[in-house]
Amino acid sequence: MNIAGIGVVGTTGRGVASLEAALNRGWTAPGLVDIRGSAGERLPVYAVPPEVLSDKTVLAKARRADRFTRMSVLAAWDALQDSGLAASVDRTRLGVIVATALGPHATTFGFLDGILDFGDAAVSPTAFSHSVHNAAASYIAMTLDVRGPTLTLTHFDFAFHEAVSLARTWLAANRCDAVLVGAVDELGSVMQFVCGRMLRPAADGRIKPFDFSVKPESVPGEGSVFFMLTRDNAGAAYGRLGAVSRDHSAVRSTGQSVQLLDACGLAKNETAYRTALMPGTLTAGYAPLFGSVMTGSAFHAAIAALMLKRQYRYAVPVAENPHGLDLCLETGAAVVDQVFCTRLDCAGRRGTLHLSAVR
Amino acid sequence: MIERIVITGMGVISAAGLNVPETLDAFAAGRRNVGAVPSGVSPLDFPVFAVRDLPAQTESSPSSRTFLLACHALDEALTGAKLGRDLSALRVGVCMGTTVASQLNDMGFYTAFRQGGDVPMEPVEHFLKSNLADAIAREVRAAGPCVTVVNACSSSADAVGVAADWIRAGLCDLAIAGGADELNRIPICGFGSLSVFSKELCRPYDRDRQGLNLGEGAGLLILESEASARRRGVATSVFVAGYGAACDAHHLTAPRPDGSGLETALRTSLAEAGIQPQDVAFVNAHGTATRDNDKVEGSVLARVFGPDIKVLSTKGFTGHTLGAAGALEAAFSVMALLSGWIPASPGFVNRDDEIPIGVVRERTTVTGRYAVSTSLAFGGNNAALVLGRDG
Repeated sequence: MNIAGIGVVGTTGRGVASLEAALNRGWTAPGLVDIRGSAGERLPVYAVPPEVLSDKTVLAKARRADRFTRMSVLAAWDALQDSGLAASVDRTRLGVIVATALGPHATTFGFLDGILDFGDAAVSPTAFSHSVHNAAASYIAMTLDVRGPTLTLTHFDFAFHEAVSLARTWLAANRCDAVLVGAVDELGSVMQFVCGRMLRPAADGRIKPFDFSVKPESVPGEGSVFFMLTRDNAGAAYGRLGAVSRDHSAVRSTGQSVQLLDACGLAKNETAYRTALMPGTLTAGYAPLFGSVMTGSAFHAAIAALMLKRQYRYAVPVAENPHGLDLCLETGAAVVDQVFCTRLDCAGRRGTLHLSAVR
Repeated sequence: MIERIVITGMGVISAAGLNVPETLDAFAAGRRNVGAVPSGVSPLDFPVFAVRDLPAQTESSPSSRTFLLACHALDEALTGAKLGRDLSALRVGVCMGTTVASQLNDMGFYTAFRQGGDVPMEPVEHFLKSNLADAIAREVRAAGPCVTVVNACSSSADAVGVAADWIRAGLCDLAIAGGADELNRIPICGFGSLSVFSKELCRPYDRDRQGLNLGEGAGLLILESEASARRRGVATSVFVAGYGAACDAHHLTAPRPDGSGLETALRTSLAEAGIQPQDVAFVNAHGTATRDNDKVEGSVLARVFGPDIKVLSTKGFTGHTLGAAGALEAAFSVMALLSGWIPASPGFVNRDDEIPIGVVRERTTVTGRYAVSTSLAFGGNNAALVLGRDG
């Protein structure tokens, strides 16, 4: 599949340029939020600034939508615009796949507030309809007039991988000519509380992707990344998004390759990443820029696509390297033929996205 | 080249019955096992279709009611497909649809969170192990593609379509596809707030229909490439012939009035099956009994299939089972293709002048090889499945 366009909404801002600027800038400290319901505990987070979600033009049909949906709509919109195909793509042949681990949970809890505060018979119909997982996909379709298939899927570890794989299947089966495929997850106040209880927040605010620790530290994040995928080279043509592998042995590294590791502190134990390394391959990981996100593979795929299009490498934002890996430590022009984005779940199961340059 | 996606097993559980034979009995007898909202779920007073005798299961770790419903149907489906619970030796994918099971909505946890102090984290830990497809995959040790589809009321119809695509693409040889949803306080309150509940038994397609009744259940299909079934020595005569999906891009909760999204989904599914509308013996309609759904859907069915197409809605037996509905109704369609009859659509008495078709009022013989099952959903999702039987 060809990556024709990318849309990014994250703590670094909106748009590919904002992501690229963050990559060039390097690590910046996360914000700190008070954990609701705790005795003065604070949590480092990479949150999306409210002003990033305030585009009244794009969000005209999503005025009542929540943050989860707004992040999704803006990223999907930007991916289509970035592709340069917005005017030409047949909307009946355009599909949408939204991957999420947790869905619009803040709205779900808002709906529960309604039940607890006003009773079962007096809840908000708007809160209910927006708490349904596919509300974001629906708003994307309404905003972009997408008339092809739309699908929202969940998985806690490999939601984005499965979404990419499904997009590939749709294109191969000729269900669509193009697919907007993306990932979104938000960090509401309840989830901040959950993260504070269940994760190990990084005291210094730094995710350390190459520690491979038995007790990894995290900085919870949020955001949305969308890709406009086409069967053939078209649009901005960042690169090819190829096979989605769940088996390391199937991945072949040739030419100048980079492996991006999704290690971000969400797994209880990240030691298995050591066995996932591709020997002799330059290694990087950029979770310290966008935070610990269950669908963070999408951010890494966007960074990989930038590397391939620009023929550029970005220095890792946090370079602590206790295992002596061959890390990407310099920013600058370089030949990049392939990028492998690897994620492991708590059980050590592996998912790898394979991206390659357009030649 | 994959020849066909065959159905080698299926399992159903709903208020109509705990398995296929019980469900067929209820269909034949016109039995509607409706009741009040079970105590402890919600104080709202609407008729619902609950599964009253769900057998207990104690061994599995995630034990939400939705998961138990799914496991119950899974066992029937695996038995029918001559499979055990350990599928690790096969290339198996799992694609499940749901709505409620995808949400972290534990009231005890959230109430404690609001109050501050000691908040139990077990519900969160449980939730993080309860992604429906992932939980089923762990049950059967499946290592192939694994997705929970959360497309609201078309979730499990889409799950069947996705699983069929996986097999065609060679991502797996066999897939467990379907959906499950339990009666839960969230949708009861939510649909209540949208004023789409009927205070009486639902009457799909009837002139005087007042809205839907919620239900719960699970429907699972075992899909395989024909080669896989042959390798395993499993014979079957039924298959998934086609799937189509399209979005309305119109409204979050209401269908597009002209029904063009559903029409696209239907025509796509027929084209994929390589058949014409006249080849379809009957349609198992989404038929929720809401004013909008039945009006739009009925108009589209008449436009695509003509006014004489045999149509039924089984919501009068099961209620609206949300994320389970599409797969349950696909399974019901297969049951009808195999048995040669469709049941009367409970609750339908008078034709609605605004709908150019009605649903069948009595048990009706069907002789064709193909059936269509339609699903319409929140968000404007439309899905259509074509199920086939060898002649």
